[in-house]
Amino acid sequence: MKRRDLLTELVSKSRFVPHPASPGAGRFTNALLRTQDDEEVRFYDDLIRGRQVVINFMYAECHGACPMVTATLLRVYRAMEERMGRDLFFYSITVKPEADTPAALKHYARLRKADLPGWKFLTGSAYDLETIRFRLFGMSHPGFDLDATMHAGTLRIINDATNVWTAVEAFASMKAITKHIAWADPPKSYAERLAESMDRQVLIDSDVKRYGYRRTV
Amino acid sequence: MPRKKAKRGKGAEGKSPQAGMSRRDVLKIGAAAGAVTVLGPTLLSPAEALAQTAPTEPVICSTEPADSPPHTPFLDNFTAPFPAIPKILSPAPTEFRNAGGGEADRAPHQRWAEFPPDVTYELEAKAGLHRFHSDYGQSYIWGFNGKYPAPTVLNVYNHPTIVRFRNSLPTTTTTFGKNEITIHLHNGHTASESDGFAGDFFGTGFWKDNHYPNIYAGYDDFPPDGDEQEAMHSFWFHDHRAAFTAHNNYLGLNGMYLVYDSKDPGHEFNTPGSLRLPGYYGITDFPLILVDKIFCPTSGGRTELFQEIGAAAAPTGDKWVVNGKIQPKMTVRRRKYRFRILATGPVKTWDLTLIKPDGSVGTMTVVATDANFLEHPIPVDAGANAANSNSPTPGALRVSVAERYDVIIDFAQFPAGSKVYLRENQAQFVGNPSPVTLPPGLAIENVLMQFNVVNREWWFPPDTPAIPSTLCTYPTLPATDNTFEWQFVRDPVGSVPRLFRVNGQVFDAEVPSHCILQGTTEEWLLNNNVGASAWVHPVHIHFEEFRVLKKFVNGVEVPVPALQTGRKDVMRLNAGEGALIKMQFRDFLGRYLIHCHNMNHEDAFMMVRWDIVPTPEALLECQDLMARHRQEEEQRLAELRKAAGLGAPKEEVGE
Repeated sequence: MKRRDLLTELVSKSRFVPHPASPGAGRFTNALLRTQDDEEVRFYDDLIRGRQVVINFMYAECHGACPMVTATLLRVYRAMEERMGRDLFFYSITVKPEADTPAALKHYARLRKADLPGWKFLTGSAYDLETIRFRLFGMSHPGFDLDATMHAGTLRIINDATNVWTAVEAFASMKAITKHIAWADPPKSYAERLAESMDRQVLIDSDVKRYGYRRTV
Repeated sequence: MPRKKAKRGKGAEGKSPQAGMSRRDVLKIGAAAGAVTVLGPTLLSPAEALAQTAPTEPVICSTEPADSPPHTPFLDNFTAPFPAIPKILSPAPTEFRNAGGGEADRAPHQRWAEFPPDVTYELEAKAGLHRFHSDYGQSYIWGFNGKYPAPTVLNVYNHPTIVRFRNSLPTTTTTFGKNEITIHLHNGHTASESDGFAGDFFGTGFWKDNHYPNIYAGYDDFPPDGDEQEAMHSFWFHDHRAAFTAHNNYLGLNGMYLVYDSKDPGHEFNTPGSLRLPGYYGITDFPLILVDKIFCPTSGGRTELFQEIGAAAAPTGDKWVVNGKIQPKMTVRRRKYRFRILATGPVKTWDLTLIKPDGSVGTMTVVATDANFLEHPIPVDAGANAANSNSPTPGALRVSVAERYDVIIDFAQFPAGSKVYLRENQAQFVGNPSPVTLPPGLAIENVLMQFNVVNREWWFPPDTPAIPSTLCTYPTLPATDNTFEWQFVRDPVGSVPRLFRVNGQVFDAEVPSHCILQGTTEEWLLNNNVGASAWVHPVHIHFEEFRVLKKFVNGVEVPVPALQTGRKDVMRLNAGEGALIKMQFRDFLGRYLIHCHNMNHEDAFMMVRWDIVPTPEALLECQDLMARHRQEEEQRLAELRKAAGLGAPKEEVGE
């Protein structure tokens, strides 16, 4: 499993090109973080550059929202498995780095069956992690920004190649979450979008016939 | 149910709706799809066509500037956006989606045969350059026909219109905008497929016909021309793309849409039924489109709009922009003028006062709230009419995002040569002293625009008669069939942090939060009173206008303020406030929205869908869809809790 991870990473590094307007390491930081496998990674260069990522904050001893968010992410992972670790990555970053060593995160990931390729649990210095939290999740509101637990329910979706940033609540429906992730997908050709639109039209027409109005698509 | 498993792509095939389709339909659609796939690339190559004309993408400064570049006050002229010019559309509009012609997917137009279009327009969303001030370089914007503000669409009641919205936005952009659009006419009485539903966005290269019948709501009860008591006049259209509304509007995708009738005919002649208000568009009757912007320093000839990708909110401006210009000046004749004030957000609330040459607060007479004439005009000032003000600023008119206030200002009271000012209570950054001496007590930073009063020339339209004391009568509302409550919440519930929600739900394009039988009347309690919320929510309801029956502050009923006694479609709820409103659901079917019009909140999904359904059976089916969804979600959360090793829900009960 690890070998596949390494291989895909080598491939992806050459494949993924950041958007010309990407804020780059200046915004993301290039903080030195450690994964659940105790690998050293640079936040922007190794994890974000040119990639589509879903980021959440958590801590291993959390018994409220975090395990549920992890369970949700696991479902999303299963639904998008063919993309995971190739052009889509999950990063779960701890808000309690003093307790969450790589080993503790490894234990958490295993316990939650989330120790999977393309999904990294990250720890680092408290200063770096707080900086990343501010830069990626800042709400310009002290009530939210100063309380580290406030972002536990939010999934941050970023594609550094398309420069699309969005966010979704982890407790939204699975459909809503996968849709949001797709909004940051690489741009599709007109032909692809047309084909999707034709598929949708079939569903719309059948809706109108059945319910009198477009209802389910 | 297979629904639960249905996800993107392949999974969707598992859905059952095809059951209702005949084989012939499928073949027809299949054939169309085939034809389009073949023809598509030759018919439509937007990227290449665009590359010829589009301005280069902006280079935006990487950090938020402390201040926008300074500007010289009163350098630019205040003007009305140019009226949109009708255009014969090719291919011609059709009831059903014209996939081969490049139209985006949509349901067929409702009541197409009854309301065939009399007039057609095309508005193309595309990148453009706009100069917000003469001291500035040009700024990269997204606008309709490449313009900011967009051309104003002028209409007449009972003359149905098609506006073809074409998406020619760039395929890749260095802005924070999303190149997918769905255009809402706020607050048109519009069939769902033309209403700019937030989930119905379409990408670059497609177009979509929005069918605006321009009928009075309740059309069916008053044949053949409808009930003119339902008249609305000052509409605006804007992008409503889920999660990117603030961004796309900040870039400029909005404009005004006026509808005239005999009462408000767009001229000042003494014609039957006319109120004879100032009425010549761009001469005596002006949109006043307000927005705040912040700019990067000028470089390479451009002064770009600052924007930060991924910021929690669209930027807060330090320049006040009126009809696309910073601190403009306007020459006014000694007569009455009408201004249709609109705040386009994303967030800013405006507190406007008219400042007379002696520094005192002048009178602005409000004749319409959110496009609807008031029964009696409501003058607002800091003197005799101070009680009519809806603002903490004495004598001011408070305009929340998406609200419209049509006001009459009578400049005949000022001698020629006077300078009169429109003041905004929040200071902007100017960076230069005022070129003229301002009235006592007025700081240049608070000046929104300047009026230079001159005598009327012989060729300029003479003043209109006094504003009539009665402008309209409100339609009688039928008995209430149903009541419902909408709770707007931001605060965390229990230990789980929450985004902006309505009734505990975030926006889901596929599931309604409320089902309504067409032709019924409902009372809705709009509430922003949970916990210690300090957030303000200007709540907007699509489709029809409402009346405010009661208002509450922290649960205690208070009198409805004067400016909320008329018909409205935006209800500002301060923290702790609630309102009981009443509205009807007539003439069309489908999916509509209720949402907070603070576009940052809306993008954080303080927005939910409600449906108008045709029959009692459809109502049951709609309720069943909601119930099934709720059950699935509960089951999913229970499974998640189990997977997370948690017990039964405790904190989430409040949800």
